[in-house]
Amino acid sequence: MPAIGNGSEIEITDLALIRRVVGGDETALAVLYSRYAGMVYSVAKRILGETGAAEEVAQDIFYQLWRTASRFDLARGSLGGWLLVAARNRSIDRLRRRQSRGQPEKHGDEPGIDQVALNLNVETSVARKEMISQVRGALDRLPEEQRKALELAYFEGLTHSEIATRTGDPLGTVKTRLRTALESLRQALNP
Amino acid sequence: MNGHPQFDVDFDLYALGALEGEELQTLESHLESCPECLRRLEEARGRLSRLALSVPPEPVPPEVLERLLGRVHAHRAKQPAPIFAGLWRWATPALALALLLLVVALGLVTARNRDLTRRVTLLQLALTQQETEADRARHVLDVLTAADTVKVTLVPASARPVPQGKAFYHAKKGLLFYAANLPALPTGRTYQLWLVPAEGKPISAGVFQTDAQGNGSILLPPLPPGVTAKAFAVTVEPAGGVPQPTGQKVLIGLVS
Repeated sequence: MPAIGNGSEIEITDLALIRRVVGGDETALAVLYSRYAGMVYSVAKRILGETGAAEEVAQDIFYQLWRTASRFDLARGSLGGWLLVAARNRSIDRLRRRQSRGQPEKHGDEPGIDQVALNLNVETSVARKEMISQVRGALDRLPEEQRKALELAYFEGLTHSEIATRTGDPLGTVKTRLRTALESLRQALNP
Repeated sequence: MNGHPQFDVDFDLYALGALEGEELQTLESHLESCPECLRRLEEARGRLSRLALSVPPEPVPPEVLERLLGRVHAHRAKQPAPIFAGLWRWATPALALALLLLVVALGLVTARNRDLTRRVTLLQLALTQQETEADRARHVLDVLTAADTVKVTLVPASARPVPQGKAFYHAKKGLLFYAANLPALPTGRTYQLWLVPAEGKPISAGVFQTDAQGNGSILLPPLPPGVTAKAFAVTVEPAGGVPQPTGQKVLIGLVS
Protein backbone atom coordinates (compact mmCIF):
# COMPACT_ATOMS: atom_id res chain seq x y z
CA MET A 1 0.00 0.00 0.00
CA PRO A 2 1.22 3.49 -0.64
CA ALA A 3 2.47 5.59 2.19
CA ILE A 4 1.67 9.21 2.48
CA GLY A 5 4.25 11.70 3.52
CA ASN A 6 5.98 9.93 6.35
CA GLY A 7 9.42 9.62 4.87
CA SER A 8 9.07 5.91 4.45
CA GLU A 9 10.60 4.20 1.45
CA ILE A 10 7.45 2.39 0.49
CA GLU A 11 5.81 5.39 -1.13
CA ILE A 12 4.25 4.55 -4.46
CA THR A 13 5.50 6.55 -7.44
CA ASP A 14 3.60 9.32 -9.17
CA LEU A 15 3.76 7.33 -12.38
CA ALA A 16 2.01 4.33 -10.86
CA LEU A 17 -0.63 6.54 -9.31
CA ILE A 18 -1.22 8.45 -12.55
CA ARG A 19 -1.77 5.14 -14.34
CA ARG A 20 -4.31 4.19 -11.73
CA VAL A 21 -6.03 7.55 -12.08
CA VAL A 22 -6.23 7.02 -15.85
CA GLY A 23 -7.93 3.72 -15.08
CA GLY A 24 -10.50 5.54 -12.95
CA ASP A 25 -9.08 4.79 -9.51
CA GLU A 26 -10.27 7.53 -7.17
CA THR A 27 -8.12 6.31 -4.32
CA ALA A 28 -5.03 6.93 -6.45
CA LEU A 29 -6.26 10.47 -7.04
CA ALA A 30 -6.80 10.86 -3.31
CA VAL A 31 -3.26 9.65 -2.62
CA LEU A 32 -1.82 12.15 -5.13
CA TYR A 33 -4.00 14.76 -3.50
CA SER A 34 -2.59 13.88 -0.08
CA ARG A 35 0.90 14.14 -1.51
CA TYR A 36 0.59 17.48 -3.28
CA ALA A 37 -2.54 19.32 -2.16
CA GLY A 38 -0.71 20.99 0.72
CA MET A 39 1.85 22.53 -1.64
CA VAL A 40 -0.79 23.58 -4.17
CA TYR A 41 -3.07 25.07 -1.54
CA SER A 42 -0.26 26.89 0.26
CA VAL A 43 0.98 28.55 -2.93
CA ALA A 44 -2.55 29.60 -3.87
CA LYS A 45 -3.16 30.99 -0.41
CA ARG A 46 0.15 32.85 -0.43
CA ILE A 47 -0.78 34.51 -3.73
CA LEU A 48 -4.48 35.09 -3.12
CA GLY A 49 -4.31 35.77 0.59
CA GLU A 50 -7.55 33.97 1.43
CA THR A 51 -8.62 30.44 2.11
CA GLY A 52 -11.82 30.19 0.04
CA ALA A 53 -10.21 31.09 -3.28
CA ALA A 54 -7.17 28.92 -2.50
CA GLU A 55 -9.47 25.95 -1.82
CA GLU A 56 -11.15 26.45 -5.19
CA VAL A 57 -7.82 26.62 -6.99
CA ALA A 58 -6.64 23.40 -5.35
CA GLN A 59 -9.89 21.63 -6.11
CA ASP A 60 -9.92 22.79 -9.75
CA ILE A 61 -6.36 21.67 -10.36
CA PHE A 62 -6.89 18.16 -9.01
CA TYR A 63 -10.16 17.91 -10.90
CA GLN A 64 -8.29 18.75 -14.09
CA LEU A 65 -5.72 16.11 -13.18
CA TRP A 66 -8.55 13.59 -12.90
CA ARG A 67 -9.92 14.51 -16.32
CA THR A 68 -6.64 14.83 -18.22
CA ALA A 69 -4.35 12.34 -16.51
CA SER A 70 -4.14 10.25 -19.67
CA ARG A 71 -2.31 13.10 -21.40
CA PHE A 72 0.39 13.31 -18.79
CA ASP A 73 3.76 12.04 -19.92
CA LEU A 74 5.96 11.51 -16.91
CA ALA A 75 8.90 10.79 -19.17
CA ARG A 76 8.80 14.44 -20.19
CA GLY A 77 7.30 16.25 -17.27
CA SER A 78 7.05 16.28 -13.55
CA LEU A 79 3.67 16.04 -11.89
CA GLY A 80 4.85 18.06 -8.89
CA GLY A 81 6.25 20.72 -11.22
CA TRP A 82 3.07 20.95 -13.25
CA LEU A 83 0.87 21.17 -10.15
CA LEU A 84 2.97 24.00 -8.78
CA VAL A 85 2.99 25.87 -12.10
CA ALA A 86 -0.77 25.43 -12.41
CA ALA A 87 -1.32 26.58 -8.82
CA ARG A 88 0.76 29.69 -9.38
CA ASN A 89 -0.70 30.57 -12.79
CA ARG A 90 -4.32 30.09 -11.81
CA SER A 91 -3.85 32.06 -8.62
CA ILE A 92 -2.16 34.92 -10.47
CA ASP A 93 -5.03 34.94 -12.98
CA ARG A 94 -7.55 35.21 -10.19
CA LEU A 95 -5.51 37.93 -8.56
CA ARG A 96 -5.39 39.95 -11.75
CA ARG A 97 -9.10 39.54 -12.34
CA ARG A 98 -9.80 40.59 -8.80
CA GLN A 99 -7.65 43.66 -9.19
CA SER A 100 -9.44 44.43 -12.48
CA ARG A 101 -6.39 45.67 -14.16
CA GLY A 102 -8.08 45.44 -17.53
CA GLN A 103 -5.07 43.68 -18.93
CA PRO A 104 -5.10 40.52 -20.96
CA GLU A 105 -4.40 37.47 -18.85
CA LYS A 106 -0.77 36.72 -19.47
CA HIS A 107 -1.14 33.43 -17.69
CA GLY A 108 -4.34 32.42 -19.41
CA ASP A 109 -2.42 30.04 -21.63
CA GLU A 110 -1.61 27.61 -18.90
CA PRO A 111 1.04 25.15 -19.98
CA GLY A 112 -0.24 21.69 -20.68
CA ILE A 113 0.35 18.93 -18.25
CA ASP A 114 3.33 17.80 -20.33
CA GLN A 115 4.78 21.26 -20.83
CA VAL A 116 6.58 21.54 -17.54
CA ALA A 117 9.86 19.72 -17.93
CA LEU A 118 11.93 19.05 -14.88
CA ASN A 119 12.81 16.14 -12.74
CA LEU A 120 11.35 17.85 -9.71
CA ASN A 121 11.79 15.00 -7.33
CA VAL A 122 9.28 15.76 -4.62
CA GLU A 123 7.42 12.46 -4.68
CA THR A 124 8.60 11.38 -1.28
CA SER A 125 8.37 13.49 1.83
CA VAL A 126 12.12 13.18 2.36
CA ALA A 127 12.83 14.52 -1.13
CA ARG A 128 10.26 17.25 -0.61
CA LYS A 129 11.87 18.37 2.62
CA GLU A 130 15.28 18.40 1.01
CA MET A 131 14.07 20.44 -1.96
CA ILE A 132 12.22 22.89 0.29
CA SER A 133 15.36 23.37 2.32
CA GLN A 134 17.43 24.00 -0.83
CA VAL A 135 14.98 26.55 -2.23
CA ARG A 136 14.61 28.44 1.03
CA GLY A 137 18.36 28.48 1.50
CA ALA A 138 18.89 29.81 -2.04
CA LEU A 139 16.30 32.55 -1.53
CA ASP A 140 17.72 33.50 1.85
CA ARG A 141 21.14 33.98 0.30
CA LEU A 142 19.86 36.48 -2.26
CA PRO A 143 20.36 40.17 -1.47
CA GLU A 144 17.17 41.64 -0.04
CA GLU A 145 16.30 43.78 -3.07
CA GLN A 146 16.79 40.85 -5.49
CA ARG A 147 14.67 38.55 -3.39
CA LYS A 148 11.94 41.16 -3.15
CA ALA A 149 11.89 41.69 -6.94
CA LEU A 150 11.70 37.94 -7.48
CA GLU A 151 8.86 37.53 -5.00
CA LEU A 152 6.89 40.38 -6.57
CA ALA A 153 7.23 38.73 -9.96
CA TYR A 154 6.52 35.19 -8.77
CA PHE A 155 3.88 35.67 -6.11
CA GLU A 156 2.14 38.75 -7.48
CA GLY A 157 2.71 38.21 -11.19
CA LEU A 158 4.16 41.68 -11.72
CA THR A 159 6.04 42.62 -14.87
CA HIS A 160 9.32 44.52 -14.90
CA SER A 161 7.64 47.92 -15.13
CA GLU A 162 5.01 47.02 -12.53
CA ILE A 163 7.74 46.05 -10.10
CA ALA A 164 9.53 49.33 -10.83
CA THR A 165 6.32 51.24 -10.11
CA ARG A 166 5.73 49.30 -6.93
CA THR A 167 9.25 49.70 -5.54
CA GLY A 168 10.04 53.12 -6.99
CA ASP A 169 13.28 51.81 -8.52
CA PRO A 170 14.42 52.56 -12.09
CA LEU A 171 13.24 50.02 -14.68
CA GLY A 172 16.81 49.10 -15.64
CA THR A 173 17.67 48.41 -12.02
CA VAL A 174 14.67 46.14 -11.63
CA LYS A 175 15.58 44.20 -14.78
CA THR A 176 19.14 43.69 -13.57
CA ARG A 177 18.01 42.60 -10.13
CA LEU A 178 15.54 40.08 -11.44
CA ARG A 179 17.96 38.68 -14.00
CA THR A 180 20.72 38.38 -11.40
CA ALA A 181 18.37 36.77 -8.90
CA LEU A 182 17.26 34.16 -11.44
CA GLU A 183 20.86 33.42 -12.43
CA SER A 184 21.86 32.94 -8.78
CA LEU A 185 18.86 30.76 -8.13
CA ARG A 186 19.59 28.52 -11.07
CA GLN A 187 23.19 28.07 -10.03
CA ALA A 188 22.17 27.34 -6.44
CA LEU A 189 19.53 24.79 -7.35
CA ASN A 190 21.09 23.03 -10.30
CA PRO A 191 23.14 20.01 -9.37
CA MET B 1 15.84 39.10 -31.30
CA ASN B 2 16.04 37.27 -34.60
CA GLY B 3 17.66 34.05 -33.38
CA HIS B 4 17.38 32.02 -30.21
CA PRO B 5 17.49 33.86 -26.91
CA GLN B 6 21.05 33.76 -25.70
CA PHE B 7 20.49 32.99 -22.03
CA ASP B 8 18.36 30.54 -20.10
CA VAL B 9 17.34 33.40 -17.86
CA ASP B 10 15.35 34.88 -20.77
CA PHE B 11 13.11 31.85 -20.61
CA ASP B 12 12.88 32.21 -16.84
CA LEU B 13 11.74 35.81 -17.26
CA TYR B 14 9.15 34.77 -19.84
CA ALA B 15 7.83 31.90 -17.70
CA LEU B 16 7.71 34.27 -14.76
CA GLY B 17 5.58 36.72 -16.75
CA ALA B 18 8.00 39.59 -16.16
CA LEU B 19 8.61 40.39 -19.82
CA GLU B 20 6.44 42.94 -21.57
CA GLY B 21 6.25 45.06 -24.72
CA GLU B 22 8.72 44.37 -27.47
CA GLU B 23 10.76 41.86 -25.47
CA LEU B 24 7.66 39.76 -24.88
CA GLN B 25 6.44 39.93 -28.48
CA THR B 26 9.82 39.06 -29.93
CA LEU B 27 10.22 35.99 -27.76
CA GLU B 28 6.64 34.86 -28.32
CA SER B 29 6.93 35.07 -32.08
CA HIS B 30 10.19 33.15 -31.96
CA LEU B 31 8.65 30.44 -29.78
CA GLU B 32 5.94 29.85 -32.35
CA SER B 33 8.45 28.40 -34.77
CA CYS B 34 11.20 27.01 -32.57
CA PRO B 35 10.68 23.61 -30.89
CA GLU B 36 14.12 23.82 -29.29
CA CYS B 37 13.22 27.05 -27.50
CA LEU B 38 9.84 25.63 -26.49
CA ARG B 39 11.75 22.84 -24.80
CA ARG B 40 13.91 25.37 -23.01
CA LEU B 41 10.75 27.18 -21.90
CA GLU B 42 9.38 23.94 -20.48
CA GLU B 43 12.59 23.58 -18.50
CA ALA B 44 12.29 27.15 -17.26
CA ARG B 45 8.72 26.48 -16.07
CA GLY B 46 9.91 23.46 -14.14
CA ARG B 47 12.86 25.37 -12.72
CA LEU B 48 10.69 28.22 -11.50
CA SER B 49 8.08 25.91 -10.03
CA ARG B 50 10.58 25.23 -7.27
CA LEU B 51 10.04 28.75 -5.96
CA ALA B 52 6.60 27.65 -4.82
CA LEU B 53 8.31 25.33 -2.35
CA SER B 54 9.52 28.34 -0.39
CA VAL B 55 5.98 28.83 0.91
CA PRO B 56 5.46 27.23 4.34
CA PRO B 57 3.01 24.36 3.85
CA GLU B 58 -0.44 24.74 5.34
CA PRO B 59 -2.97 22.01 6.02
CA VAL B 60 -5.77 21.86 3.47
CA PRO B 61 -9.26 21.94 4.99
CA PRO B 62 -10.61 18.35 4.79
CA GLU B 63 -13.80 19.36 3.00
CA VAL B 64 -11.79 20.25 -0.13
CA LEU B 65 -11.05 16.59 -0.80
CA GLU B 66 -14.65 15.69 -0.22
CA ARG B 67 -15.80 18.35 -2.69
CA LEU B 68 -13.21 17.16 -5.20
CA LEU B 69 -14.43 13.58 -4.97
CA GLY B 70 -17.99 14.83 -5.34
CA ARG B 71 -17.05 16.49 -8.63
CA VAL B 72 -15.21 13.36 -9.74
CA HIS B 73 -18.31 11.26 -9.15
CA ALA B 74 -20.54 13.78 -10.88
CA HIS B 75 -18.17 13.81 -13.87
CA ARG B 76 -18.13 10.06 -13.97
CA ALA B 77 -21.91 9.89 -13.83
CA LYS B 78 -22.15 12.12 -16.93
CA GLN B 79 -20.00 9.80 -19.00
CA PRO B 80 -22.19 7.46 -21.07
CA ALA B 81 -21.23 3.86 -20.80
CA PRO B 82 -19.46 2.96 -24.07
CA ILE B 83 -21.75 0.02 -24.73
CA PHE B 84 -24.82 2.27 -24.74
CA ALA B 85 -23.13 4.89 -26.88
CA GLY B 86 -22.34 2.27 -29.48
CA LEU B 87 -25.73 0.62 -29.45
CA TRP B 88 -27.68 3.84 -29.60
CA ARG B 89 -27.00 4.39 -33.26
CA TRP B 90 -28.44 1.00 -34.17
CA ALA B 91 -31.34 0.87 -31.79
CA THR B 92 -34.95 0.74 -32.89
CA PRO B 93 -37.27 3.22 -31.16
CA ALA B 94 -38.55 0.50 -28.85
CA LEU B 95 -35.08 -0.65 -28.00
CA ALA B 96 -34.06 3.00 -27.57
CA LEU B 97 -36.84 3.49 -25.02
CA ALA B 98 -35.83 0.34 -23.20
CA LEU B 99 -32.24 1.46 -23.14
CA LEU B 100 -33.29 4.90 -21.95
CA LEU B 101 -35.22 3.37 -19.06
CA LEU B 102 -32.27 1.19 -18.25
CA VAL B 103 -29.94 4.18 -18.27
CA VAL B 104 -32.30 6.11 -15.99
CA ALA B 105 -32.49 3.16 -13.62
CA LEU B 106 -28.74 2.81 -13.64
CA GLY B 107 -28.46 6.53 -13.03
CA LEU B 108 -30.64 6.26 -9.94
CA VAL B 109 -28.58 3.37 -8.62
CA THR B 110 -25.40 5.25 -9.44
CA ALA B 111 -26.59 8.36 -7.64
CA ARG B 112 -27.42 6.26 -4.62
CA ASN B 113 -24.05 4.60 -4.70
CA ARG B 114 -22.16 7.81 -5.32
CA ASP B 115 -22.09 8.87 -1.71
CA LEU B 116 -21.12 5.36 -0.60
CA THR B 117 -18.28 5.31 -3.13
CA ARG B 118 -17.00 8.64 -1.89
CA ARG B 119 -17.08 7.39 1.66
CA VAL B 120 -15.25 4.22 0.67
CA THR B 121 -12.56 6.27 -1.05
CA LEU B 122 -12.11 8.43 2.03
CA LEU B 123 -11.97 5.33 4.22
CA GLN B 124 -9.38 3.72 1.93
CA LEU B 125 -7.30 6.86 2.20
CA ALA B 126 -7.62 6.86 5.98
CA LEU B 127 -6.68 3.17 6.03
CA THR B 128 -3.62 3.88 3.92
CA GLN B 129 -2.54 6.56 6.34
CA GLN B 130 -3.12 4.28 9.32
CA GLU B 131 -1.07 1.52 7.73
CA THR B 132 1.68 4.02 7.20
CA GLU B 133 1.60 5.00 10.84
CA ALA B 134 1.63 1.33 11.86
CA ASP B 135 4.67 0.72 9.65
CA ARG B 136 6.39 3.63 11.28
CA ALA B 137 5.55 2.36 14.76
CA ARG B 138 6.98 -1.07 13.87
CA HIS B 139 10.12 0.58 12.61
CA VAL B 140 10.50 2.56 15.82
CA LEU B 141 10.09 -0.64 17.81
CA ASP B 142 12.69 -2.40 15.65
CA VAL B 143 15.24 0.28 16.38
CA LEU B 144 14.52 0.25 20.09
CA THR B 145 14.73 -3.51 20.48
CA ALA B 146 17.51 -4.52 18.05
CA ALA B 147 20.44 -6.12 19.84
CA ASP B 148 23.02 -4.02 18.05
CA THR B 149 21.28 -0.69 18.58
CA VAL B 150 23.65 1.80 20.17
CA LYS B 151 22.14 3.69 23.10
CA VAL B 152 23.64 7.02 23.97
CA THR B 153 22.57 9.45 26.68
CA LEU B 154 23.29 13.05 25.83
CA VAL B 155 23.94 15.70 28.47
CA PRO B 156 24.85 19.37 28.22
CA ALA B 157 28.36 19.61 26.80
CA SER B 158 29.64 21.63 29.71
CA ALA B 159 28.01 19.57 32.43
CA ARG B 160 29.90 17.07 34.52
CA PRO B 161 28.57 13.56 34.09
CA VAL B 162 25.81 12.92 36.58
CA PRO B 163 25.74 9.54 38.33
CA GLN B 164 22.67 7.60 37.38
CA GLY B 165 21.28 4.10 37.49
CA LYS B 166 18.56 2.24 35.67
CA ALA B 167 16.72 -0.77 37.10
CA PHE B 168 14.43 -3.09 35.12
CA TYR B 169 12.54 -5.25 37.58
CA HIS B 170 9.91 -7.92 37.15
CA ALA B 171 8.73 -9.58 40.38
CA LYS B 172 8.77 -13.06 38.78
CA LYS B 173 11.40 -12.70 36.04
CA GLY B 174 14.12 -10.86 37.84
CA LEU B 175 16.17 -7.66 38.03
CA LEU B 176 18.53 -5.92 35.63
CA PHE B 177 20.52 -2.96 36.86
CA TYR B 178 23.20 -0.79 35.43
CA ALA B 179 24.83 2.38 36.66
CA ALA B 180 26.90 5.05 35.00
CA ASN B 181 29.18 7.91 36.01
CA LEU B 182 29.67 6.73 39.56
CA PRO B 183 32.80 8.05 41.27
CA ALA B 184 35.61 5.62 42.00
CA LEU B 185 35.60 4.29 45.55
CA PRO B 186 38.53 4.01 47.93
CA THR B 187 40.01 0.60 48.55
CA GLY B 188 37.90 -1.52 50.88
CA ARG B 189 34.60 0.04 49.80
CA THR B 190 32.01 -1.20 47.33
CA TYR B 191 28.68 -0.23 45.86
CA GLN B 192 25.72 -2.29 47.01
CA LEU B 193 22.29 -2.41 45.34
CA TRP B 194 19.14 -2.70 47.45
CA LEU B 195 15.63 -3.67 46.60
CA VAL B 196 13.30 -1.85 49.01
CA PRO B 197 10.12 -3.94 49.26
CA ALA B 198 6.65 -2.53 49.76
CA GLU B 199 6.78 -4.10 53.22
CA GLY B 200 9.75 -5.11 55.29
CA LYS B 201 13.48 -4.42 55.30
CA PRO B 202 15.68 -3.73 52.26
CA ILE B 203 16.90 -6.83 50.44
CA SER B 204 20.46 -6.91 49.10
CA ALA B 205 20.63 -7.38 45.30
CA GLY B 206 24.40 -7.70 45.34
CA VAL B 207 27.55 -5.63 45.24
CA PHE B 208 29.30 -4.23 42.21
CA GLN B 209 32.44 -2.38 41.21
CA THR B 210 32.73 0.26 38.53
CA ASP B 211 35.07 0.56 35.57
CA ALA B 212 37.23 3.56 34.69
CA GLN B 213 34.19 5.42 33.32
CA GLY B 214 32.13 4.77 36.47
CA ASN B 215 29.94 2.12 34.83
CA GLY B 216 28.75 -1.00 36.67
CA SER B 217 25.95 -3.51 36.49
CA ILE B 218 24.12 -6.35 38.20
CA LEU B 219 22.17 -8.79 36.08
CA LEU B 220 19.55 -11.19 37.43
CA PRO B 221 20.81 -11.44 41.05
CA PRO B 222 19.26 -14.10 43.29
CA LEU B 223 16.21 -12.55 44.96
CA PRO B 224 13.20 -14.02 46.74
CA PRO B 225 10.46 -14.44 44.10
CA GLY B 226 7.32 -12.33 43.97
CA VAL B 227 8.57 -9.40 46.01
CA THR B 228 6.81 -6.14 45.20
CA ALA B 229 9.40 -3.38 44.99
CA LYS B 230 8.80 0.09 46.35
CA ALA B 231 12.22 1.47 45.47
CA PHE B 232 15.79 0.67 44.53
CA ALA B 233 18.85 2.24 46.07
CA VAL B 234 22.63 2.07 45.90
CA THR B 235 24.77 2.62 48.96
CA VAL B 236 28.49 2.63 49.62
CA GLU B 237 29.41 -0.23 51.93
CA PRO B 238 32.44 -2.16 53.19
CA ALA B 239 33.95 -4.57 50.63
CA GLY B 240 31.87 -7.76 50.32
CA GLY B 241 28.67 -6.00 51.27
CA VAL B 242 26.51 -5.96 54.38
CA PRO B 243 23.17 -7.58 55.32
CA GLN B 244 21.44 -4.22 55.77
CA PRO B 245 22.42 -0.82 54.41
CA THR B 246 24.68 1.23 56.61
CA GLY B 247 26.44 3.66 54.30
CA GLN B 248 25.67 6.74 52.29
CA LYS B 249 22.90 6.49 49.65
CA VAL B 250 24.36 7.54 46.29
CA LEU B 251 21.41 6.60 44.10
CA ILE B 252 17.74 6.04 44.78
CA GLY B 253 14.73 5.53 42.58
CA LEU B 254 11.09 5.01 43.53
CA VAL B 255 8.92 2.58 41.61
CA SER B 256 6.22 4.71 40.06
